[in-house]
Amino acid sequence: MTSPPLLDLIGLSKSFAGVRALDDVGFAIAKGEVVCLAGENGSGKSTLIKIVAGAQPADAGSIAIDGQVQRRWSPMDAVRAGIQVIFQDFALFPNLSVAENIALNQELSAGHRFINWKAVRAVARRGLERVGVDIPLDQTAETLPVADKQLVAIARALLSDARLIIMDEPTTALTEREVRHLLDIIRRLRDDGVSVLFVSHKLNEVFDVCDKIVVLRNGRRVAAGTAAEFDISSLTRHMTGRDIAAESHRRAAGADARELLRVEGLTKHGAFADIAFSLKAGEVLGITGLLGSGRTQLAKALFGLTPVDGGCIAVDGRPAAIASPQDAIAHGIGYVPEDRLTEGLFLSQPIAANIVVGTVDRHTGGGGLLDRHGLKAEARRWIDKLKVLTPSPDLPVQSLSGGNQQRVVLARWLATNPKILILNGPTVGVDVGSKAEIHAIVAGLADAGIGIIVISDDIPEILGACARILVMRAGRITDEVSGEVSADDLALRLAS
Amino acid sequence: MPSWATRNEVIVALVIVALCVVTALINPSFLSLATLFDMLRNGILIGLLAIGVMLVLISGGIDVSFTAIAAFSMYAATMLLVDLGIGDSLLLAFLISAGIGLSLGMINALFIAGFGLPTLIVTLGTLSAFRGFLLAFVGSDLISNVPPAMRDFSRSMLVRGTDAAGYFYSLPTAVLFLIAAVVITWFILYRTMLGRSIFAVGGSREAAARIGFNVRATQVFVYGYVGVLAGTAGLIHASLARVANPSDIVGLELEVIAAVVLGGARLTGGYGTITGTLLGVTLIVLVNNTLVTLGIPTTWQKVMIGFLILLGTGLPAFQARLRANRMG
Amino acid sequence: MTRLLGGTALGLLSAAGFALVAGTTATPAQAQEYTIPTVVKIDGIQWFNRMREGVDRYAEDTGNNSYQVGPAQADAQLQVQIIEDLIAQNVDAITVVPFSPEALEPVLARARENGIVVVAHEASNIENADWDIEAFQNVDYGAHIMDQLAACMGEEGEYAVFVGGLTSRTHNEWIDGAIARQEEAYPNMTLVGDRNETYDDQQRAYARAQELLRTYPNLRGFQGSASTDVAGIGLALEERGMEDDTCVMGTSLPSISGQYLETGAVDGIFFWDPADAGYVMQELATMVLDGEEIAEGMDLGVPGYNSVTIDGHVIYGQAWVDVTAENMDDYPF
Repeated sequence: MTSPPLLDLIGLSKSFAGVRALDDVGFAIAKGEVVCLAGENGSGKSTLIKIVAGAQPADAGSIAIDGQVQRRWSPMDAVRAGIQVIFQDFALFPNLSVAENIALNQELSAGHRFINWKAVRAVARRGLERVGVDIPLDQTAETLPVADKQLVAIARALLSDARLIIMDEPTTALTEREVRHLLDIIRRLRDDGVSVLFVSHKLNEVFDVCDKIVVLRNGRRVAAGTAAEFDISSLTRHMTGRDIAAESHRRAAGADARELLRVEGLTKHGAFADIAFSLKAGEVLGITGLLGSGRTQLAKALFGLTPVDGGCIAVDGRPAAIASPQDAIAHGIGYVPEDRLTEGLFLSQPIAANIVVGTVDRHTGGGGLLDRHGLKAEARRWIDKLKVLTPSPDLPVQSLSGGNQQRVVLARWLATNPKILILNGPTVGVDVGSKAEIHAIVAGLADAGIGIIVISDDIPEILGACARILVMRAGRITDEVSGEVSADDLALRLAS
Repeated sequence: MPSWATRNEVIVALVIVALCVVTALINPSFLSLATLFDMLRNGILIGLLAIGVMLVLISGGIDVSFTAIAAFSMYAATMLLVDLGIGDSLLLAFLISAGIGLSLGMINALFIAGFGLPTLIVTLGTLSAFRGFLLAFVGSDLISNVPPAMRDFSRSMLVRGTDAAGYFYSLPTAVLFLIAAVVITWFILYRTMLGRSIFAVGGSREAAARIGFNVRATQVFVYGYVGVLAGTAGLIHASLARVANPSDIVGLELEVIAAVVLGGARLTGGYGTITGTLLGVTLIVLVNNTLVTLGIPTTWQKVMIGFLILLGTGLPAFQARLRANRMG
Repeated sequence: MTRLLGGTALGLLSAAGFALVAGTTATPAQAQEYTIPTVVKIDGIQWFNRMREGVDRYAEDTGNNSYQVGPAQADAQLQVQIIEDLIAQNVDAITVVPFSPEALEPVLARARENGIVVVAHEASNIENADWDIEAFQNVDYGAHIMDQLAACMGEEGEYAVFVGGLTSRTHNEWIDGAIARQEEAYPNMTLVGDRNETYDDQQRAYARAQELLRTYPNLRGFQGSASTDVAGIGLALEERGMEDDTCVMGTSLPSISGQYLETGAVDGIFFWDPADAGYVMQELATMVLDGEEIAEGMDLGVPGYNSVTIDGHVIYGQAWVDVTAENMDDYPF
């Protein structure tokens, strides 16, 4: 006889303003099981998490704990049942110490009126031990790296006698190495009998750690089963509802392609040193490295955002002095930043304005007046060409999904007719379907003769787009490999 | 640069030392017990108010109405004591003034914790409302025959000395209230869950609510506490000045908030220390009381305080940018 | 209670309209009986309560219908409304202490178009008035205070000066007059420090005095300008036990500085008597209505206004009042 599952979701439905966010979704999580909830943005994952956490009531369906259907389901009930959610923002107190962040919960539920710092530290130490990490107890949470914040949040959850930990996109902001560490911790928790509901759209992680996979699409459960029953292409198909072309998007330079960019001896003290490479027309070049390897600094330097201390850059065979983004743009270099939300887009401004903001000069007529019709037509052209999904170009960019926002950024740079485009982590935080499309766009751009540099630490992203890959470690280029290399091999070269 | 060197407390302390050195070089008699006592006495009002403001800033809010609360409590309490002929008990005087302060603080709390309105808007409104009500309905004449208890209190000195010329210098007993407020506030902030809840709410309101802190209760406490401190500070002010002037105190908001921000409390909430706040108060009091010696015209006083505020608020932002650059 | 009744009566009058008022003035029995309201900045504070005494005394002395009105709050707009009501009642003259002369210009202009005589006080820059009466020339007043300070200090020693605000024209003119008199008549006295700004705040005056005493140990004299200045200075001196060795003189009122006059921490305070100012405004208005000539050196029948000087349409008296511990009880405001 098998014991009832820890958590059983039965026929959950939820609508917002007449739109079905969840439609008859059900699955179970057993003790010590790692279940992955996969789905693209807008598939209903967040709604489901909120319902399980007690933050929102379901319109229909029920939740059973240990086989008992629950009548009341408030956040407090969820906590009492041993369900802890680690939200994307971790819900930490940025101003408090690690110790307090972990232990405050305990002190509060114990009903203490006064605070005993010795006890707080002891509790915190116990929590960190259970996670198996060592983080200075007195450090302010605000100053911790993202990965450590997450570990603090996990330690806190464990101390509340968590039987099920729900992690919402836990790996988005982590580096490859940190992700591996997190997955190790999840395995440890599983061995301790703690269940984990893991929400992600990074497919390799899903296969790496999960026992069971549940796929949501448009609010419906479209597939569920053990991890062994899925492979990358079937999972992708379930998530997107279509076959993502398995064709390679890598673009190598033609034999007679002209050299667009040559970098020699480029040095910035404390960031990178003696960087040399070349880029040909129509080529997609990858530059990868772990956090702190200098890849982001290099990308910024190439676009004139950070001044360099030495070395030279030549564009089209002629030396180019690039001291500012204006210089870079004048030489036909475009840059799409990593955090597209904060660095690249004016979120509250219309889509059209965001696309044409770089080309205003070209549409300025006599007397400095703007040619509004020209601008509008240009914006429309790019929206069509890049398939930005929007009812109107006049809507603000923040109304778009992540993938579509990324396309707007691309459109902005293409509108400036660049010769060279630097993409920093182009598919960070983008779902699988959009990811493949962005890779296809990148390939399309390369086919149009633009030289492209993709900078990222996301190995599948690099391998999906680049024919040639430079590996950076400690500020230097230590390796050059072809895009045919295996993911494991590349990961090894990054870290060793 | 080690991290402690860029902390607000250290920088403010260094500025204080520098200012003292310069003033002492110009006028060697600056370094005297008389000066110290004068500064302490002049720091009581600002100090008490600043402790309250610090608590509000830590909790993630801002209060600009505390001066109006202090003026209202002080004046209404004095008037009650005089009219009812009960001006012989100092304890009663303080209870009435602090009680009025508490009630006015509760009005703030009602709007902020009860209706969830933004703290700046609410307290800007109550600043004006409390002050208007005081002048229009309570009274606008100053009361210079303050009750005997207050008059005696103003003459009550903790320490009294005589200088070379035979004149007195003295430290009023009222300074004990500042010391008590510091000790009590320290205990609340660092030894009670209530205190930690103030930090937690200021650090992340949502996270605080999520782990079960009663955010509203915390806010009610904070604004009530500010009211009590303001009422107490107001009565001390009126006693020491031996006059209850309804147009006193209001107008000090900027200086007090400046002192607290200089001491490292952040307008975005979650951060603030008592040491820092006291250092900030010291600096503001020092600036206000060394201009004649330094030969700086009084109009420059405001320029200097403005500059200090920019320094105090700009520094943490600048440090945050430095940190971000290092991590990138 | 009286105020409440007065307000109701006014309201009734204006509601009844022009006919009633015209009927009253048309009564031939006492042709020389004028209706002259005095409009003050704010009703109910001690200063203007004192002014009311002067206005009421004038009504008694002459049989005129003289009375005082003012808004419950210090607000220029409320003053404008009161004057509009008075114009509607077709009073003979309006005497006014403007809260803001600029804000009153239009409504006073309308009053004069309607044949109403306008006399102002504390508004030497006003345009739409027949006359403005000032208690004194600011420079003379400041010099007068300096004379008293010098006498107290034995015409020697260091002194400091206080103003409510460096931008306050009146306060600075008083101090200008004082310093000029000292330089001209008392060569053994020395001014130390700049003009100390107190923002009309007693606590600041107190702290500033403390600091001056620390910086200038030989400081023996203080001249204040804002009414709270000398009280703050007095408190600082009293706490140090210096009240017998120092001299403090300045503009203030017994209600503010009385306790320091008693202890000798403050030696003399100066002001002008609002009762006299109210009386003189009424007298001037009556003289204009009677068609009498106003000329330089004229006696308006009140002490301090016995020989007025005239500059344009501004009339100056020499109506300062010197108050010491001995006579402070004569001025209960």
